[in-house]
Amino acid sequence: MRVNKNLIVWAIIGTGISSVTTQLVTIREFITQFHGNEITISLVLFAWLLFNGAGSLLCRQFKVTGISLYSLLILFIAIWPFPQLIIIRYLRDILILHGASAGFYQILLYVGITTAPYALLTGYILPCSLELIKANYHDFTSGELYITDNIGDILGGVIFSFILVYWFNPFTTIALTSSILILISLAMFIRYKKNHLAVVSLMIIATFYIYALNQGFERSTLAGQYGEILKYKETPIGRLVITKEANQHTFWESGTPLYSTGDIQGSEEKIHYPMSQLEGKIEDVLLVSGGIGETLSELSKYQPKNIDYVELDPALIDMAKAEGLINNRPGLNIISMDGRAWLKQTRKSYDAIIIDLPDPDTFQLNRFYTSEFFRLTREKLRQNGILSFSVNSYENYISEIIKKKLSSIHNTLNQYYKNVIIIPGGAAFFICSDRALNYDIPSLLAKRSIATGYIQNYYYGNVTNDRINQIRGAIDSKEYMNTDFEPRLLNIAYKEWFSKHGSSPGIFLFAAGIIGIIYIIFMKKEEFILFSSGIAAMSAEMLVIYCFQIIYGYVYLKVGVIVTAFLFGLLPGAIAGTIFTQKKRSELVISEFFILALLICLFVWVNFIKTDLHQAWFILYSILFSFFCGFQFPVATGIIGEKTSPVAGCIAADLAGAALGTLFAGAFLVPLAGIHATIIIVISIKIISSMTLLFSKRV
Amino acid sequence: MTRLYTRKEFIRTACACTGASLFFFDSTFSNTAAQGSKKGKGIRGTVFRGDAPDKPWKWSIEARYYEKKGKDTICLLCPNRCYLKPGDRSVCRSRVNIDGKLYSLTYGNPCSIHVDPIEKKPLNHFHPGSSVFSIAATGCNLRCLNCQNWEISQKRPEDVAHGELFPADVVASAIKNHTPSIAYTYSEAITYYEYMFDTSRFAREAGINSILVSNGYINDKPLIELAPFIDGANINLKSFDNDIYMVLNGGTLDPVLNTLKRLKEAGTWFEITTLVVPTYIDDPDMIKRMCGWILKELGPDYPLHFSRFFPNYRLNRLPPTPVSQLEGFRNLARKEGLHYVYLGNVPAHEGNNTYCHNCSKLLIERTGYTIAKNNIAKGKCIYCGTQIPGRWAA
Repeated sequence: MRVNKNLIVWAIIGTGISSVTTQLVTIREFITQFHGNEITISLVLFAWLLFNGAGSLLCRQFKVTGISLYSLLILFIAIWPFPQLIIIRYLRDILILHGASAGFYQILLYVGITTAPYALLTGYILPCSLELIKANYHDFTSGELYITDNIGDILGGVIFSFILVYWFNPFTTIALTSSILILISLAMFIRYKKNHLAVVSLMIIATFYIYALNQGFERSTLAGQYGEILKYKETPIGRLVITKEANQHTFWESGTPLYSTGDIQGSEEKIHYPMSQLEGKIEDVLLVSGGIGETLSELSKYQPKNIDYVELDPALIDMAKAEGLINNRPGLNIISMDGRAWLKQTRKSYDAIIIDLPDPDTFQLNRFYTSEFFRLTREKLRQNGILSFSVNSYENYISEIIKKKLSSIHNTLNQYYKNVIIIPGGAAFFICSDRALNYDIPSLLAKRSIATGYIQNYYYGNVTNDRINQIRGAIDSKEYMNTDFEPRLLNIAYKEWFSKHGSSPGIFLFAAGIIGIIYIIFMKKEEFILFSSGIAAMSAEMLVIYCFQIIYGYVYLKVGVIVTAFLFGLLPGAIAGTIFTQKKRSELVISEFFILALLICLFVWVNFIKTDLHQAWFILYSILFSFFCGFQFPVATGIIGEKTSPVAGCIAADLAGAALGTLFAGAFLVPLAGIHATIIIVISIKIISSMTLLFSKRV
Repeated sequence: MTRLYTRKEFIRTACACTGASLFFFDSTFSNTAAQGSKKGKGIRGTVFRGDAPDKPWKWSIEARYYEKKGKDTICLLCPNRCYLKPGDRSVCRSRVNIDGKLYSLTYGNPCSIHVDPIEKKPLNHFHPGSSVFSIAATGCNLRCLNCQNWEISQKRPEDVAHGELFPADVVASAIKNHTPSIAYTYSEAITYYEYMFDTSRFAREAGINSILVSNGYINDKPLIELAPFIDGANINLKSFDNDIYMVLNGGTLDPVLNTLKRLKEAGTWFEITTLVVPTYIDDPDMIKRMCGWILKELGPDYPLHFSRFFPNYRLNRLPPTPVSQLEGFRNLARKEGLHYVYLGNVPAHEGNNTYCHNCSKLLIERTGYTIAKNNIAKGKCIYCGTQIPGRWAA
């Protein structure tokens, strides 16, 4: 019986929906497993795209001609994300010691093992679908395949980013987005009378839904990582969990213990180090994150008139309130938004700004330690107001990496504050003001008659003069400052991470480089264009997301808009490439110049203009960029010629380029070299690909 | 020809398969869902092949305890017994074989020097309220995943900034800082044994106490020779389970227990610290066994400190230890018969204070590192006259 083309087209769309959703859910899962920074996210995307590419190359060797096997593969794609998530949750304690953080190679191995089956198969199924359609005497070009897949990708991106992430947990999300593929596979079994397979599949599908839609089961799969879970919520920002250990409550955000009850030292240091420096009546205090537990009661000892407490995730506030860990008090104003965005928009001035965020080990967090941010705090502080925050340090020894970190922050702060002191300890506290500052916190507290449990009893034993002098002496005035576009601290954080795990990315980069070069040598030049466009597209996507975050902060919905805009631009681009192209090389050259022009525009803006652009510009830019990348795919396959079956090679080149772009831009270039250097490198790659096209012999 | 199923067959097969798959799923995952695996691969360190410098670095001196096998050497300082070929570096990173001779690279090269309260080591029965001149050189023979000093303990001496302070200068500095004691602390003192040994000898001559803060991972002979010069020690008994030692620390339990016995035999005052790491060191049965061993082998008088864990270094995906759990262990240890059980890293807690084991009266009230009250006179409880174990001011 001839295979129905529509069923396969729907299978391609369903695969797109399932793969994008699964990719996003998987990234979120890894973020919670590893307190994901850009390296983790990039590694997941890299592995994913690379396996996708390898999968599509597999189709050159192993073609699926039978509908039974094809339907089974479709069913596998639908179901596998569910066990994949479970495996990610359980495998952690097998590959990595329970409670320990993971190093680069551990994450790479972990990501590789867990994503390989699904990503290989989704890469494999696309060219297979095309082959199956053609084998059944239907018309379908590589460009049409690309367009169909894009439709699925866009649908998946939109459904997940705008609906599912707000309402459903990961298992339910997978259950819902797999439904189309499940229906299609069943329809194929029934239509082509594969009854045995239909029965077995129904059993598997029933089991799948029974467990995937069972909230209790989903929660139980988290117990290994967290222990006794009291509350659990997936929010657009991350996974919030409250656990109970004996009578202690611990708040976890994305897999990291954020706060535990009974942390007297942490609460006192955070509040009293800066607040004790102030004199007279205190009117307004801004607390950026960290207001759970004892913090607000310590702050209340100064009787400020107003406390603005800004927390990014409203769900965290709700959960803390429900557990009685945030007590309402007069003058407390809880604001659910990005702290930097709040500072930018508020017209209020503060006597103190206290920031309690983790170390700047992600792009999002780095925004709170940059020159641009410190200038903003200075503008919002009253005369002689205080800014305070802390970073991880070591009490007994200041290593080279810590020295660089402290120096970079110190030098950045020095631009805006007359006095900056660093109080040493396991966390080094920066206290900044134009007023004179005092290290003797216990005596300042005594003057205000404020009683403390930790500071007045332990401070002199821990913050000794030799430690103060040691940290003072560690400051290197020549160390680079930290800025939004040149994130020096991110660079340092990555070095610290590698140092902690005694590893270096050198071997990996070397191996990836060698494999990349061999691959480039053997690819067709049209494939090389797609390869370089893949690099440029994903690098540009990363850059646009980073730039957007720098200006607007972490607003999940809007980051989702950018990702979707990139997917969205591919579709009309691919349609234009299919409909209007005369399959001439000149069209490829023109698209190359447009991509180059767009990269140059980004460079000019980042380097010279730097003004806050309206959000619409980011969306427009994303759509335009991906339009030209999408345009190139059908043109390139057209030039190579449908008869030579270019699709597997082209998809592989496109995906491999995207994988490399993600990895190098997201994980290495931006954090290590900054945004300017990254754009220049991407421009250079596109210039090389354009030159290759212009000066190479015609096929 | 395709055989069609009857409705009955279909339902029967469907029920059977669904039941089987549900059973499989449930039994596979429910058993492991409650808590993640705590057993894993050991993290014991390995020798660094070919990593030694060409020449002895800075003030390196020949190691005191090693055996020659031709040009190869076997370090006899700790149970790791590193077999080093020329050019190799030991597990602790501070000993190297250069041309068939074993060198200690850290002699006279401290990387950390501070003055601390004695209670910070922690030592609660050793001249309370006094200050201690504390030094460290790089290196450690274990690989603890929660090390709070990993920047010096897990680094090579060449990679860390050092000062220069020879044994006699250390003693002179202690005197200058008016500290009655010197502590070998922060990283692992055993790895800079020669430096510590010479310093403690000088200190003894100058009337300054020497304090060893250590994981206790040392062989008999070097310990027995060192012990006479050590006045006080805090030995970290990291757990009472060999598997956990292997997984969290990269060592084994027996050598540490042996160290405690040897220190007792040598008459060296020591206190024991156990960091209570959630999900690892939280089994009351293990704590009970540990207390039983202490009682049997060491007696009830050596203080035991249960210290609160905070996420650190690579073990940073665990919550802090609940204070109530520490309290529970303290009660358990006292019930088992230990006289002095303290809580560490818990500010403003009665578990920081010393109570007479005979009359239960408050002897030393500690508010942080400050001694608010001291009711011990000449080493005796002022209320009932019981001798309180420890080293007290005359």
